[in-house]
Amino acid sequence: MDPVVLIYSPNEIRGKIISETLRVKGIETRLAASHFEVEALIRENFPRIIILDMKKNISTETDFLDALSQKSTGAEIIVLGDKHDPSVPGAPHITNTRWIPGPLAPESIVSEVHTILFPKRNWPFAKRCNAMASEVLLRLKRFFFWSVPITATLVVGLIGGYVYWCIVTLPDIQSLNSYSPYKASEIYSQDNILLSEFYIERRNMISPDTLPRHVKNAFIAVEDARFYKHAGIDPVRILSSFLTNIKEGGFVQGGSTITQQLAKMIFFKPEKTITRKIKEIAISLQIERRYTKNEILGLYLNNAYFGTRAYGIEAASYIYFGKASNDLSTSEAALLAAIPKAPSKYSPFVDPEKALNRRNYVLKRMFQTGFINQDEYRHALGDAIPEKIHARRYKAPYYVDHCRGILEGMVGDRLYTAGLKIYTTLDYRMQEAAEKAVHEGIERLEKRGITGVQAALLAIDIKTGQIKAMVGGTNFWDSQFNRVTQAKRQPGSTFKPIVFLTALEQGLKPSDTIEDKRIDYYVKGQPDAWTPLNYSKKYHGTVTLKTALAHSFNAATVNLASKVGIENMIKTAHRLGIKSTIYPFYSSAIGSSELTLIELVSAYAALASGKRIEPACITRIIDKEQAILVEPPAREETVVGGESLTAIRDMLQSVVLEGTGRGALVLKRPVYGKTGTTNDCVDAWFIGFDENIALGVWVGRDDHIPIGGDENGATVALPIWVDFMRGSGENPQPARITVYPSVTMAAGAVSVN
Amino acid sequence: MTAIKKDPHDSPVSPDNRDEEKAPQAFNDSIGIDIGTANIVVAQNRGKEVSTTIQSNAFFTIPSSQTTKEIIAGKSVLFFEKNSKLYILGNSSEYFANIFRGNTRRPMKDGILNPKEHESADVIKTIIENLVRKPNTEGEKIWFSAPGEPIGKPNTVTYHKSIIKMHLENLGYSPVPINEGMAVIISELSGNGSEFTGIGISVGAGMCNVCLSYLSIPVITYSIQKGGDYIDSLVGSSVGEPSTTIKGVKEKELNLSIKPRNRVETALHIYYEDLFSSLAQSLQEALGSSDNVPSLPKPIPIVLAGGAVLPKGSREKFSKAFDDVRLPINISDIRIAERPLYATAKGALMMAMREKG
Repeated sequence: MDPVVLIYSPNEIRGKIISETLRVKGIETRLAASHFEVEALIRENFPRIIILDMKKNISTETDFLDALSQKSTGAEIIVLGDKHDPSVPGAPHITNTRWIPGPLAPESIVSEVHTILFPKRNWPFAKRCNAMASEVLLRLKRFFFWSVPITATLVVGLIGGYVYWCIVTLPDIQSLNSYSPYKASEIYSQDNILLSEFYIERRNMISPDTLPRHVKNAFIAVEDARFYKHAGIDPVRILSSFLTNIKEGGFVQGGSTITQQLAKMIFFKPEKTITRKIKEIAISLQIERRYTKNEILGLYLNNAYFGTRAYGIEAASYIYFGKASNDLSTSEAALLAAIPKAPSKYSPFVDPEKALNRRNYVLKRMFQTGFINQDEYRHALGDAIPEKIHARRYKAPYYVDHCRGILEGMVGDRLYTAGLKIYTTLDYRMQEAAEKAVHEGIERLEKRGITGVQAALLAIDIKTGQIKAMVGGTNFWDSQFNRVTQAKRQPGSTFKPIVFLTALEQGLKPSDTIEDKRIDYYVKGQPDAWTPLNYSKKYHGTVTLKTALAHSFNAATVNLASKVGIENMIKTAHRLGIKSTIYPFYSSAIGSSELTLIELVSAYAALASGKRIEPACITRIIDKEQAILVEPPAREETVVGGESLTAIRDMLQSVVLEGTGRGALVLKRPVYGKTGTTNDCVDAWFIGFDENIALGVWVGRDDHIPIGGDENGATVALPIWVDFMRGSGENPQPARITVYPSVTMAAGAVSVN
Repeated sequence: MTAIKKDPHDSPVSPDNRDEEKAPQAFNDSIGIDIGTANIVVAQNRGKEVSTTIQSNAFFTIPSSQTTKEIIAGKSVLFFEKNSKLYILGNSSEYFANIFRGNTRRPMKDGILNPKEHESADVIKTIIENLVRKPNTEGEKIWFSAPGEPIGKPNTVTYHKSIIKMHLENLGYSPVPINEGMAVIISELSGNGSEFTGIGISVGAGMCNVCLSYLSIPVITYSIQKGGDYIDSLVGSSVGEPSTTIKGVKEKELNLSIKPRNRVETALHIYYEDLFSSLAQSLQEALGSSDNVPSLPKPIPIVLAGGAVLPKGSREKFSKAFDDVRLPINISDIRIAERPLYATAKGALMMAMREKG
């Protein structure tokens, strides 16, 4: 059943409240999710009432209401919101609407809908009419009997008046010039590679001049063979359609010309009324006077609906055949020409047999009208029809999906409708290197008998905070869960630099020493002590801070954290950009509090440059008129001071030179970083940087089952890190190395040698 | 990991954990499951009855040996082996904890998977696997309770929800989450013109889940990460007693409608008032700051469920907390669910049955 009331609210819950309230009162409703859907439903279902929720009262909603109130939808509009003051300069002039101000009031909405659907009747008068019906009928009979000439004159006058009314209420033909259908937005990498498109309808406008002749001919042959001969309507076609339909024993050909179909498509609802038919003819004649045949055909092909959410020939061509419309063969063009008559019925994906028959009918028409010769006809008949939709896969999918979320917050629905060009920070060359490195890393693991493992990689420019490459998993098309931004995992030892930075900021030096020994830590309320163990299960006695970090000693790190203060360590983490909760437990010092890869890499970027910069994706958004719509500013804040910065970089370099990150030495240039491995190797990490890029790699399983074997951060994540650094074409300047005087720390006291 | 496999109909729980009640409407073979911090409750309809099964959501580890394994395998104890340890699960874990003079551990904390327990996912998975029957058809729907996002902490429950979903999918089900507060509404506000409109609050061990529902639409959902455990822990540290002792007092003796008889009860009264006051304040803020709250023509009820409202006098204590707040909607009455511990699972089951028709 068609809905009586169409509801649109930018807020899904409010929309549902309105819909359910009316539904329990027995009123059929339909909830639209977007402006586009509202328009589509108006075209298809002719609702009696449209309820627009404008509580937020944002300009896009006002513009939409403005546009809707000017259309002749035939529906009453109820607006939930505060009525605009028309005296305010710039306020839209919205008329013919009912307003319900104040908070969401279901009862008021029901009352207003009832008023429209069931207007009050003068029942006593109706009863009186009923009683007098026979008398009135009698008098009418007498009147017509004696007044035939008068009646005939009246009928002719009424018909004339009716036709005149139809013509004077025609829609404005000039709106064809400014007809602006929804258009897909395009998202580009920094090096101008088209990554993907965002769309509701796959509508890409193309010039009719670029279409091959056989494509245009396919549509002309089946829809309107005398297209170039008539002036908008074609009496010959109407007659021939009538005869063809009788001959074929069914409705195979309509009488409408392509011009009439264009008029119907753009200006009218698909209702079958005499009024609409008269208006359609009148507007078709106007279109023919104003536009060339080629322009009319172009408008028709760009706006026709081909099913499977494809509007326009170019979109349809990609969906059905995975190619541009100017590459279509004759049989492919014939199939597309077969579809607009009944897109769901003639879809090759719904009913291949019907689609094939209809396509062959189009080919037959092309042959009969002389557009193709006998050989071409026979050859085309042998071509198969497509069996599956060509869903367009896109590049850097995890990154694009991450951007989509941010963009929806920036531009809302316009992302899918406004034909925006979005320029991003992604370096596609680096992205390819990243995808290759992850792929090969996983392959190496599989060769060692370890399967089902996931990996993620993120590269950030340390000077700008721009994301240069992002791989959120091994296969986006299997799992869209982004392990860079969504997966919260224990960072293990990659968290340790935060503890050491806190110590450096309290005046310690990399050459100061700390005890790496067994210490039992007691937490208030917990009966059992917690004793951190080193990975090697051995303790190393007095060690320098530099050695403790380079070799990732757990006992020394927790000992240091207890001395610098867990709360201070947490403050440092947040200052570096970590947003997740770091629990005030000793185990947090060795990475037991879960966080995301993007947080960690962002924090390491701050360790590299001393500045905290929010990771950025979008550099610029340009609208259809080539105006800059959004250009997000970069915000940076210095969070690590000079000496501490040099010292922590020095210590992270020593991880590579002499510690657990020695695998990175193959790069033969200064790089800095830290390995991480959580208990039983559930998570393996390597996070680090060179002079330009902060790069993080995580490897693990979604269900937290250990990776397996004797793997750790150095054997699993570091090789991927190295591969990316090698393959991304990075060539930074050598780093400076600073030597500090040694300091000894013992039993809570600090003494300088 | 090796888990002891059992016939799905041969639940490891003792018979007194199985409960039957009249099913509320037309019947089909559906399942609802409430995965709480303290307990996992499964509601299934069998013929014209609703069967509820409860299993403690806890575990206890003991060193693994062949002899131990053989002994416990013969005693219908639910367990699995990992890293040379035996993980004793569910109701049996309490028994073993008493024998070994230790405390049971919980795979969930504050209403979500416990980040401190690495085996939490495996523990929950094994308990669920032994509570629910095999799906009748691949992809059969199962409704499971999901916590609301804690106020001011978005995306806190995403991981928890995804893992539970994943485990249920691995069992061959198509899991559908239902907000815990919403499940309380579905369970308790279906008749007498209630039309699923009201405020449902599940006061669990780890968190309180709140849902304002209008005609079964969850208008506002959120949680606060305080619950029964929060009370036990704070009372314990206030009076110097282990929280397990406090839990025992709370579950067996506490009556919140009479004056406290000792300092443990005094502390329990104080922290119950604190919890209910937090709930009332949060509700005032959540309802007051939302544009979605409709103007309702008549007052609506508040229904409380969950293990933490089992003590006598909970309703009165909760009502008192509402004396100091002003809500933008009128409340008709405050009531406790008919069977507080089972209401969420029952609500999830009713959703499943509603869907199946």
